[in-house]
Amino acid sequence: MSATQTTIITYLGTPIFGICLSLLVFLFGQWLFKIGKGFFLFQPLFVGMVLGIFILWLMAKMFGVDVTWFYTNAYKPGGDIIFWFLNPATIAFAVPLYKRNDIVKRFWLEILLSLIIGLFISLFIIYGVSKLIGLDNNGIASMLPQAATTAIAMPISGAIGGTPAITAMACILNAVLIYALATWLIKLFHLTEPIGQGLGLGTAGHTVGSAKAIQLSSVSGAMAAIAVVIISIVVDIVVPTFANFMGIVK
Amino acid sequence: MADKTNTTQAETKDAPILIQMGIFAGVLFVSSLISPLFPPTFPVPTPVIGLVLLYLLLMFHIIKVEWVDKFATFMIGMIAFLFVPSGIQLTASLDIMKAQGVQLIVAIIISTVVLLVVIAYTTSFFIWIRKTVFHGDISVSETVDKK
Repeated sequence: MSATQTTIITYLGTPIFGICLSLLVFLFGQWLFKIGKGFFLFQPLFVGMVLGIFILWLMAKMFGVDVTWFYTNAYKPGGDIIFWFLNPATIAFAVPLYKRNDIVKRFWLEILLSLIIGLFISLFIIYGVSKLIGLDNNGIASMLPQAATTAIAMPISGAIGGTPAITAMACILNAVLIYALATWLIKLFHLTEPIGQGLGLGTAGHTVGSAKAIQLSSVSGAMAAIAVVIISIVVDIVVPTFANFMGIVK
Repeated sequence: MADKTNTTQAETKDAPILIQMGIFAGVLFVSSLISPLFPPTFPVPTPVIGLVLLYLLLMFHIIKVEWVDKFATFMIGMIAFLFVPSGIQLTASLDIMKAQGVQLIVAIIISTVVLLVVIAYTTSFFIWIRKTVFHGDISVSETVDKK
């Protein structure tokens, strides 16, 4: 280990650097969103992500160290602490779900059928699009499990011959994209019916999509929360079978 | 009379925030014990189990919604910020992007839109079936109806 690397670990290796950087870029994103009058590319999460990556890349170049090494040793200790709180934030969705239990009781069959059949149709389209773009089998296998939460999608991706890191990237970008584009996409495709809107946001945007759905309506939020749980279980069962059927797994 | 009002208020009042956090911590801890019981070929992560567990506890009235409502709302409001480290995590994937980057990102963007739109349209289709084939009630109000 070089002298620079030792210095970086001494001064930036504590969690507070990662926490401060995350706060800084997110608050900057919020400020930009406010003065940008809600322009969709200025969503705090999107700005925070791009700016954070850029700052880390720039600092790594300045110190003359590898970007991934710098990320792991300087940012990750603090980032992991914030990341851990996604656990209680995910279980928190039980509350908006319980509050609209009336909808769950009335529409449980529609919810279940829509998620299973909707996922099957989506898988065929994602497979076709990936093939058309020119991804190899490894790339396609990495794309298929992305409807599940990261912790489920990654091992499945590995099992069907994909690269778990690419699948994780897909899950993360899903959430960032949905958070930034949801309002616009809902208008573009006229997704005004709250049950379908919620299930779609929960499937495509995971917990972040659910947070967006709650802002739209309580029904939408509850449906997004139930979608996160059920789609993950459905992906667990359906995607390995689908990958075998399409001959992606060697 | 004044005492009576006070007691009714106390009954519907939110639980103290530390107790709310304690319930969340307890649910997470039990979930983290359940999660490893699932086989590696059928992974079910801790937060997903926790969501189902808390939902069941609420549904069977073991815990009241006022005991967790405030902290849950707070956590959900924080999600965009809590997701920032996941976004920045992509720094470690910059090498992957160099190889097939543009194709992968295009595929991910299209997949995201496909998942949202297909699931939403499929649901609309099934709700349309309930309405036209079974003549079911499909009205969904913003306030909870006690039917």
